[in-house]
Amino acid sequence: MNIIIVGGGTVGSAICAQLARENHDITVVDENAAALSEIANSCDVFGVAGNGAEISILRKAHADKADLLIAVSAKDETNILCCAAARKLGTKHTVARVRNPEYSELMQLLQSDMNLSFTINPELAAANEIYRLLRFPSAAKINTFCRGKVELAEFIIEESSPFCGITLNELRRKLNIKFLVCGVLREGQAHIPSGHFSLEAGDTVCVTAPDKELTNLFKAMGVYKTPIKNVLIAGGGRTTYYLQSLLQNAKINSTIIEKDEEVCHALAADYSCTVICDDSSRQETLLEAGIKKADAFLALSDVDEENAIISMYAKSLELDKVITMISRISYMDFFKSAGLESIVSPKSSTVSNIVRYVRSMTSAGEASDIEALHKILNDSVEALEFSINSPIEDVTDIPLKQLKPRAGVLIACIVRGNNVIIPTGDDVISKNDTVIVVTSGKRTESIKDIIA
Amino acid sequence: MNYRMLGYLFGIIMLIEAALMVLPLIVSMVFRESPVPFLLTVAALIVLSFPLICRKPKDTRIYAKEGFVTAAGAWVLLSLFGALPFFFSGAIPNYIDAFFETVSGFTTTGASILTEVESLPKGILFWRSFTHWVGGMGVLVFMLAILPADNGQAMHLLRAEVPGPTKDKIVPKMRQTALILYGIYMCLTLILIFLLLLTKMPLYDSVVNAFATAGTGGFSVKNASIGAYSNPAAEWIIGIFMIIFGINFNVYFLLLVKRFKDIFKNEELRLYLLICVLSTIAITANIFDCFASTEDAIRTSFFQVSTIVSTTGFATTDFNHWPSFSKTILLLLMILGSCAGSTAGGLKISRVIIAVKNIFRSIKKTVRPRSVNVVRLDGDAISETTLHATANYLSVYFALTVLTTLLLSLDGFDLETNLSATLACINNIGPGFSVVGPTGNYSGFSYFSKLLLSFDMLAGRLEFMPLLILFSPSVWKRN
Repeated sequence: MNIIIVGGGTVGSAICAQLARENHDITVVDENAAALSEIANSCDVFGVAGNGAEISILRKAHADKADLLIAVSAKDETNILCCAAARKLGTKHTVARVRNPEYSELMQLLQSDMNLSFTINPELAAANEIYRLLRFPSAAKINTFCRGKVELAEFIIEESSPFCGITLNELRRKLNIKFLVCGVLREGQAHIPSGHFSLEAGDTVCVTAPDKELTNLFKAMGVYKTPIKNVLIAGGGRTTYYLQSLLQNAKINSTIIEKDEEVCHALAADYSCTVICDDSSRQETLLEAGIKKADAFLALSDVDEENAIISMYAKSLELDKVITMISRISYMDFFKSAGLESIVSPKSSTVSNIVRYVRSMTSAGEASDIEALHKILNDSVEALEFSINSPIEDVTDIPLKQLKPRAGVLIACIVRGNNVIIPTGDDVISKNDTVIVVTSGKRTESIKDIIA
Repeated sequence: MNYRMLGYLFGIIMLIEAALMVLPLIVSMVFRESPVPFLLTVAALIVLSFPLICRKPKDTRIYAKEGFVTAAGAWVLLSLFGALPFFFSGAIPNYIDAFFETVSGFTTTGASILTEVESLPKGILFWRSFTHWVGGMGVLVFMLAILPADNGQAMHLLRAEVPGPTKDKIVPKMRQTALILYGIYMCLTLILIFLLLLTKMPLYDSVVNAFATAGTGGFSVKNASIGAYSNPAAEWIIGIFMIIFGINFNVYFLLLVKRFKDIFKNEELRLYLLICVLSTIAITANIFDCFASTEDAIRTSFFQVSTIVSTTGFATTDFNHWPSFSKTILLLLMILGSCAGSTAGGLKISRVIIAVKNIFRSIKKTVRPRSVNVVRLDGDAISETTLHATANYLSVYFALTVLTTLLLSLDGFDLETNLSATLACINNIGPGFSVVGPTGNYSGFSYFSKLLLSFDMLAGRLEFMPLLILFSPSVWKRN
């Protein structure tokens, strides 16, 4: 596809790198020529210097022949303008990043009246992700599929865990729980395990299970943590703003520490939580706000370094859950190795959102559509949700044990109507099912790709 | 410096050269000549490249530094191995001479040390002209066109090889860019071969002359170059095609996708064509009395203008005997060269435009010190970085010219010979004036001078930086 990306910042360049790898023709537009040449040096893309909302620049980037324009520049207004202009010039689809909560209603209007295909709000996405983690505090990371029917949870096997050294077959026999281990990350290497795979301490494990069974699994594993009731949040930015409305609905008590007085007032005006106007990077402030009594601590300030340090401090207090927000995507691995297991990044979720959208666009109209795509286990494994629109030769209505999947492919879950099936060899994929497939290695674009 | 990746790329380049050598091998067999020189070289290339490519390196990241070193190394390697068939066949008994001839071929210079070419084997002469065709568009571009690009950083390779002050892809994907460039190149070459056949030039001669024209190289299979055919139609066709191959290939792409507006905006193209027309008129007027017919005078001056401005180096006449006005025009055209992004050498017209506009800007700035002025090319502002790079390029060009001329003078030839030989090599033209004029050659120079001129040819083709950074110790540090 011909894709134009407006904005070559952290998000723009990460999208570029990913989509260039997926073999799309990409043109990047950015006002900063230096940033542009940086991208052109590392990815196989075309650069156009200038303001992406300017018609002459869009013409230069051949917006008339583009299939998709992704506007991820720093300014919401530029992004909206850019998409509107590109639509007029003939771009088929447009995606805009719009972050300001005040525009959220406007966006619905724009989507219907101006044919913007899709808008992304990274902070809202991050807030949703954090909220999911708070609901399952035992997991390091949670991805949901099929509109929340299926969860893919990641957690780390500790040395004291009763699961160490047990093969997956034994594990399944021992526990009367419907679940499937669909990926294991060991020493930076991702494995798609078979039944003979045995777990070791230090492994990051990814499991699928229906919503209800997940709690049972955590209980059986001895990693179950009681639901979270008290949350302490450092930083009162947009993510916090969106998160607070979710927390309030779930009746979770929260305390927010924010330096900026005006922001504090706005939060206090809109929500009924405790808002403290103080510097959240000071240890005394955190202690005074009751960090030791809290079930969960969320470091959501704008400064990565601050978030990292206070999260490490919170970790040392052995809270049930510590979630850290990091915007520098490239340091993710380092922070994980430093012991911060739950890291949320609005930027990286924006990237995966957009990549998912592009993939589903590529697959649109085929017998199987990609509905969702999540990168799991440090982005080394992809979990894809396919909806099966019509019978497919060699795939549908064949017992799974007779299917010959490619190496590194696992069918993690089949959703039929409201039933969640954790598949065994006798199950089949049939029309109108939704299938979740976990793959490592080669890119999967359609359900047919899973067959060797 | 990522040595593993560098070795891997060199291995691929050697394999490509082995594959390319199959063509002259076939030609030798068709003409019932010994294929042994080519077979030996192909074997050597395959055996030596094997340890380099048997394992793909884990770390395939390359940066600007590696891109430059790969470009320089690839060209040197190509020439070192490309010289072997000349050496093995005994066509050129001395290896340094053979190396000079091959460098001259790949860099599309066309400077020769051979005094007598007509008696040499056809396969060897085919290889000699084929090196022009390969070197014209560049071997790294060829590599990018045929290999799947799994690495976005390969842009550094393209940039190190394609000539011109600013380099960009014509479509977002590098591999497609490389394919389009080679596609255009190949089509134009085929058209030229077809047209030459129409003028009743023999097939073999049409093909080799088309190679030399397409790469703007200038090696010929006749001692008297194109003049030997006494074929006015062929002279017109080759003259026009030399100009065509001196135009930026992006223009042909724009033509293909019907973006005519962008073509008219191209200042470099307009100036290039204007220079060709004006120089032809001036020289025709200057030498009119020496010729019997007007057509003869126009054709001869047009051919010389075209061969020099496109840095090809074919000859139909010995311009050594021309009046000094005409010779001076030719000397200026030598330095000027053709368009950026073409197969031709020289300073490149866009670079000269930028440099001249920059001079005017400096004058404005001196008159009104606080005034802010922007240099524009094709209506777009040129960045300060490009302006710096252009000024830098001119300094290096000047320094290398002076230094080479000084060192060449040790051989005892006159100043005109030394200066024009230096210019002819750095600008990848081929023939100069006096001893190295259209009817002379480079065989009289010492081995040291030949190596020096080989360096100049490579430096000129790769636009200096790739070769110059080889002398910087920090390039060779591991990281």
